Amino acid sequence: MIARRSLLGGLASIVAGLALPSPLGATPLAKVKELGVLRAAVYKDNRPWSWNDGGTLRGIDVDLARALAAALGVRADVVEFLAGEDLGDDLRNVVWRGGLLGFQPCDVMMHVPFDRKLQLDNDQVAIVAPYYREGFGAVCGNEQSDCEVPPPQFKGRRIAAELASIPDLYLLGGFGGVLRSDVIHFPTGYETIAAVGANKADVAVATQAQIEAALFDLKNPGIKRRKGPLQAIMSPGWDIALAVKENSRTLGDAIETLIAAMAADGRMAAIFGQYGVTWKPALAG
Amino acid sequence: MKMKVSRSLAGFATLALALSAPALAGGPTSADLANDAASTGDVLTYGMGPQAQRFSPLAQINASTVKDLIPAYSASLGGEKQRGQESQPLVYDGTIYVTGSYSRVFAFDSHTGEKKWEFDARLPDGIMPCCDVVNRGAAIHGDKIIFATLDAHLVALNRNTGKVIWNKAIADYQAGYSATAAPLIVKDMVITGNSGGEFGVVGEVQARNVDTGELVWTRPTVEGHMGTLHGQPNGISGKTNATWPGDLWKTGGAATWLGGTYDPGTNLVYFGTGNPGPWNSHLRPGDNLYSSSTLAIDADTGVIKWSFQTTPHDGWDFDGVNEFIPFDMDGKKLGAKADRNGYFFVLDRTNGKFISANKFVMQTTWANGFNPKTGRPNYVDANRPGPPSADGKGNSVFASPSFLGGKNWMPMAYSKDTGLFYIPSNDWGMDIWNEPIAYKKGAAYLGAGFTIKPIAEDHIGALRAMDPRTGKIVWEYKNKAPLWGGVLTTAGNLVFTGTPEGYLKAFDAKTGQELWKFNTGSGVVGSPVTWEQDGEQYVAVMSGWGGAVPLWGGEVAKTFKDISQGGSLWVFKLPKH
Repeated sequence: MIARRSLLGGLASIVAGLALPSPLGATPLAKVKELGVLRAAVYKDNRPWSWNDGGTLRGIDVDLARALAAALGVRADVVEFLAGEDLGDDLRNVVWRGGLLGFQPCDVMMHVPFDRKLQLDNDQVAIVAPYYREGFGAVCGNEQSDCEVPPPQFKGRRIAAELASIPDLYLLGGFGGVLRSDVIHFPTGYETIAAVGANKADVAVATQAQIEAALFDLKNPGIKRRKGPLQAIMSPGWDIALAVKENSRTLGDAIETLIAAMAADGRMAAIFGQYGVTWKPALAG
Repeated sequence: MKMKVSRSLAGFATLALALSAPALAGGPTSADLANDAASTGDVLTYGMGPQAQRFSPLAQINASTVKDLIPAYSASLGGEKQRGQESQPLVYDGTIYVTGSYSRVFAFDSHTGEKKWEFDARLPDGIMPCCDVVNRGAAIHGDKIIFATLDAHLVALNRNTGKVIWNKAIADYQAGYSATAAPLIVKDMVITGNSGGEFGVVGEVQARNVDTGELVWTRPTVEGHMGTLHGQPNGISGKTNATWPGDLWKTGGAATWLGGTYDPGTNLVYFGTGNPGPWNSHLRPGDNLYSSSTLAIDADTGVIKWSFQTTPHDGWDFDGVNEFIPFDMDGKKLGAKADRNGYFFVLDRTNGKFISANKFVMQTTWANGFNPKTGRPNYVDANRPGPPSADGKGNSVFASPSFLGGKNWMPMAYSKDTGLFYIPSNDWGMDIWNEPIAYKKGAAYLGAGFTIKPIAEDHIGALRAMDPRTGKIVWEYKNKAPLWGGVLTTAGNLVFTGTPEGYLKAFDAKTGQELWKFNTGSGVVGSPVTWEQDGEQYVAVMSGWGGAVPLWGGEVAKTFKDISQGGSLWVFKLPKH
């Protein structure tokens, strides 16, 4: 399993094989089972993946982490964390070192892009078990009745994007910057679609999961989803996986097996379906 | 004063103190703080005076006697929190007050180093500061010691007991805000900036009543945002959307994370501002006011009197937060700032008019000097990082200084005697490029890739003496590792600063000759102070390696990989004969 899915192929496995056993002599998987708890980290304010819904932590990643814990026969301890400037910060704070102010490292971090360069740059973690194929899309409402036009024709509309996201950079910088002064910013992608529904924006560019979840929640026939691609957007899409510590391969292996089983028997699609998102298998899977 | 004594928790001790030294019982007033540069028996302000010149008229320790300087005592901050001691001590009434990393405050007996009390702020588990867990110092006023915490609170403690008097959130840590600078106290108001590593933060300066912590005025540092005075709207900063495209001004950055200085003569507080967001300048054409600037703000009303932008339309992460130090030259009221961008600016402090800008580092690839008529940089367009592109890694640009700056947070000093500024600087550059695809918050993103590297064989750090009249470097001391600590200068013809290698060093202020050094056992990244006590002159500095430098690897890391962490106060004096 690892050999097929691992971003670094055989090399990492060999290195891991040479690593000394932990002082307790137990593998990370055995330790999780012995302690009876899987500590899983999810992003704060990342609807529909993980968000605080009036004091309750909800979302696809939250449910998936709980399902993994249940399948391992242990309790889930799902904790939120604030995103850093890039994924390297998150992997350091959440997986392999912990926060400088006492945030304890987690057994697993959800929602980690399955990317070879990211893996090479962060060799203290193993990125495993890709579980979804993500990408970008758009919705229109209000004044923008035709959502299929080339994006420069959105000129003059209120175009919503999450701050400091690819949709933001795409709209500010793409097409010679023609849309730059029309971009309005929101803290999350989910809110950009809600803004279209509330007539605070005419167009929103966000991730497919954000779009599907918001359309499902809002049930607003006035919001139309763009069917065609977004020309010249900087990302063709990416796989979402999870990360464990480099020396926790036994746990990573177990999770890969569980994810494969959940994909095969429909549990994965059911979890995503709860939030209105159509589960799409990872390309690497 | 009687009221204060009867309210004190340590009534007996305070009473006893009052009997022996009645003038001290009420604690320092705003007038005392304004006079700190001249009073040699104490250190009441960050910067040793509201102008932050870091000059002492004391001369017992001088270029002839400094060779005999020996430790009087050392005091450990204890615990496991051994990193990043960037603080400057305060000294008052037989006590040294110093902040420690992880939002702690310590009070030590200034004769023996014995600990009187310690305050540890309870920090939420969830905060993950971008850079390090440092704190740069406290403020003192009346019965209070006031400092800022990593979770963006301002806390006032009783200076005799360390017990909390008031505690105010100055920003929301959950939205990415933090606070590490020493507060400035002016006219019974405590004036602070804000900090935050997250894109979306908007800079602000706040003034609060020193006795209650209640807001007096606020002044946002990005054009378009409304300031307040006594809770009422008090005018928008600048002109909405004049120098930003779209709604980017709503999230424009320009954080005021290093605090400010004050000039009683003009009644202006001077705050520097951080760089604008997003990082790629091509996405935000315009000057993006008031990012990477110095702002002069009326101390009574919070209204901006003038601004000067040191890096208009920043594209290199040249934050403009550095301290603006008021000084007089040839009868003119001036101020100076050594910027991240490698230039030393002299401005008219009454109106912000440009006087001069001169290089204080080896190399500035981004600009060829400043136009004396306009006060704007002569950009080298080829050395601006390119726009983001969909087709792979963009052109890599070599930029010097690196984004850590020709000078970072560490404060310089100005000597009235020599007329020179002593700048703790670093010579380093960076390769910077657009990453084809990086990731942020679990999603694809276009980030900047960069590698910091040295540009000289023999050094990164350089302590430089700058003549503000000529713009020439008079002398320099080169240091292998990056310099990251503050500077002190004295009438004893001395300049003191620390090194990551662990030394506190003293130099001849006129020639730069190294006259004395002492190894404190860990890197020195704090700011030294001096005062007189029982007829003897003392020098104190914090030791404890950390701050932002160790977070960046590559070739630069080779210069400090063997430095051990720590957390101690070191105090020196001359031996008694």
